[in-house]
Amino acid sequence: MTVMTGGDVAPIAVTGARKFRGDLTKTRIRWVIVGLVIIFGIVGGRLVQLGLVVQDNSIEGRSREALSASRPAILDRNGLEMAVDIRVPSLYAEPRRIIDVDDAVEKLRTVLPDLDANWLRTKLSGEKGFVWIKRDLTPEVEDRIYQLGIPGLDFLTESKRFYPGGPEASHILGSVNVDNQGIGGIEQYVDGQGLAQLQSVGIADGQNLKPVQLTIDMRVQHVMREQLLSALTRYKAKAAAAVMLDIKTGEVVGLVSLPDFDPNDPSSMIAPYNGEPRMRFNRITAGKYELGSTFKTITIAGALDSGAVKMTDRFDARFGVRFGRFTITDFHGQNRILTLPEVYKYSSNVGAIHIMQQWGKDNYRAFMTKVGFDDPLPIELPEKTTSSIPKKFADVTAATAAFGHGIAITPLHMAAAMAAFVNGGVYEPPTLYKRSPEDVAALAKRFISPATSKEIIELMRLNAIEGSGSVMERAAQGYRVGGKTGTADKVVGGRYATNKNFNVFASAFPLDDPKYAMVVIMDEPHREGPTTGDTAGWNAGQTTGLIVAGIAPMLGIAPNFDKAIDDQLVPPSIR
Amino acid sequence: MIRKLNIVLMLTSAIAFVAVYGLKYSVEEVAKNKLELERHIDQQKAQLSLLQADWSYLNQPGYIQPIVERHLDQLNLQPIKQTQFGALTELPMRPVQPDTTAMTALFQSLDAGVDPADKPIGRKQP
Repeated sequence: MTVMTGGDVAPIAVTGARKFRGDLTKTRIRWVIVGLVIIFGIVGGRLVQLGLVVQDNSIEGRSREALSASRPAILDRNGLEMAVDIRVPSLYAEPRRIIDVDDAVEKLRTVLPDLDANWLRTKLSGEKGFVWIKRDLTPEVEDRIYQLGIPGLDFLTESKRFYPGGPEASHILGSVNVDNQGIGGIEQYVDGQGLAQLQSVGIADGQNLKPVQLTIDMRVQHVMREQLLSALTRYKAKAAAAVMLDIKTGEVVGLVSLPDFDPNDPSSMIAPYNGEPRMRFNRITAGKYELGSTFKTITIAGALDSGAVKMTDRFDARFGVRFGRFTITDFHGQNRILTLPEVYKYSSNVGAIHIMQQWGKDNYRAFMTKVGFDDPLPIELPEKTTSSIPKKFADVTAATAAFGHGIAITPLHMAAAMAAFVNGGVYEPPTLYKRSPEDVAALAKRFISPATSKEIIELMRLNAIEGSGSVMERAAQGYRVGGKTGTADKVVGGRYATNKNFNVFASAFPLDDPKYAMVVIMDEPHREGPTTGDTAGWNAGQTTGLIVAGIAPMLGIAPNFDKAIDDQLVPPSIR
Repeated sequence: MIRKLNIVLMLTSAIAFVAVYGLKYSVEEVAKNKLELERHIDQQKAQLSLLQADWSYLNQPGYIQPIVERHLDQLNLQPIKQTQFGALTELPMRPVQPDTTAMTALFQSLDAGVDPADKPIGRKQP
């Protein structure tokens, strides 16, 4: 309020006491507001700062989640665990939070006396954020250390993979490395299916991971492995392997390859065997071999199915077949005219060549493509190899291929083809994961007609009763097994060595209602005794018989000695 | 009026102060309990996984077979042979009429104090 006191006199501003107080209050309020804004600004700024702090939770370069990330349990087809996770507590320290190092060392050593006091003291002193003290403790020890109440010490639960079966299913399971990542086998396959991503974001917790159920039967697996181990010593073989398929679904019931390794100790994977390196690979899926006379089953099945030859046809096996400088002759020479079943029974190379030639070599090559020998295996294991079959057959290659020489496929290829031949001619790609009836129907592929399938079953059973499968038949009497032997000379330094064999037995049982197909291979087996031989029937064949006798009762296949079954399976006309 | 309001506000803030103070401590207590429980659960999970691993190890055929083989003699066990299997269909059908002569013979034998069931058939006495 200003009062005018005169015309040209400068005005005198008089501020009343009330106005003065009011202005002062206003100024004070303004200062208080400024003060509050500053204070709240600081608080807010600090909050933002705290929110932006990235805490380094990694331990030696790996996130805490990755350490405790678990893997799904792996079960066999009956629900028995093949691989499980164990959660083990590990002790670590945060030295910058430790108040009294000497006290901590003293207390800790009452529970863990094997820790060196000086080592522990240097570990616990300093300003580090994280040091491991001791890993893989038991829950009891964890509890006792916890009761000591030392600040700056804590536990981290780590996941460790454990394979209760030891080496029993090593090639199927593979193993894991220290970072809990699959190295080989199903473990590696599971990682590829998205588990690795789950683990890296830290939500792979054992409780919410669905177990992986395989088609393997651990009982079959065990019997197979026992028999193959015993075969390795009996025949002094370098290696042996076997695979068994459920022919109706293509599910792998058992797969053993010796020498194998212990998945609990991944370093044993690459350990030398009898001084030789690279021996412990999976021979069933990652090894390709000339499977010898077992190929005659393929040749005959294809030729019969095409209609080029009939069961009653006769083939001249009196003389060898000449190709330029080479003459191919028979091992078990009969030197007469043979019927088709006799060609199979006596495993006549000459007869097989005639059958193939009557059918046509290009048809034979096309049939190999049809039965899937060209394609890599669809099985879930990462250890796979492709076949070596020439794209086009020359006359000699086709001739040797007719009895399984000069071309190489994996034993699993052979097992899958055999399974299809006895399954009414319908093929199911081999798998380690359970297959639903819908999938079985969707994946089914016809290789040969049901009539040809029946003829192949006749031939396989005939070979067991009268031919090269008789040693096998003696071991597995009553189980109606049938199969074909294959004895191939090994290639040593680019030439076939006659004293080193690679033996195969491809079989199926029970042939009156076929359920399983099996392939057994032996690398360089020797004679068991002076009265036995070293051809496939004596080792791979006998082992097949022993395996079948061991597993058939577990698989619900009862022996049957009824003569009528064999009479029906193998008509007298072909005997 | 203002005075009364001030008193009410002061009382409220005093109560709020005590309440927040109490809440803080109870939250700390709950957090401690939670940690304790989490640790307990973790431990139990670890124990459980160990026991599960143990159980599956003990159930492996490869673990059981050597035990069976060690006790073959004590338990008088032998591997089963193919010829030892039978089927229900192999059992003979029930006879149409009871075998009266055999029944009479059995009763007479029982009366005489001889029970044919005691006599071992085709099996060695232990």
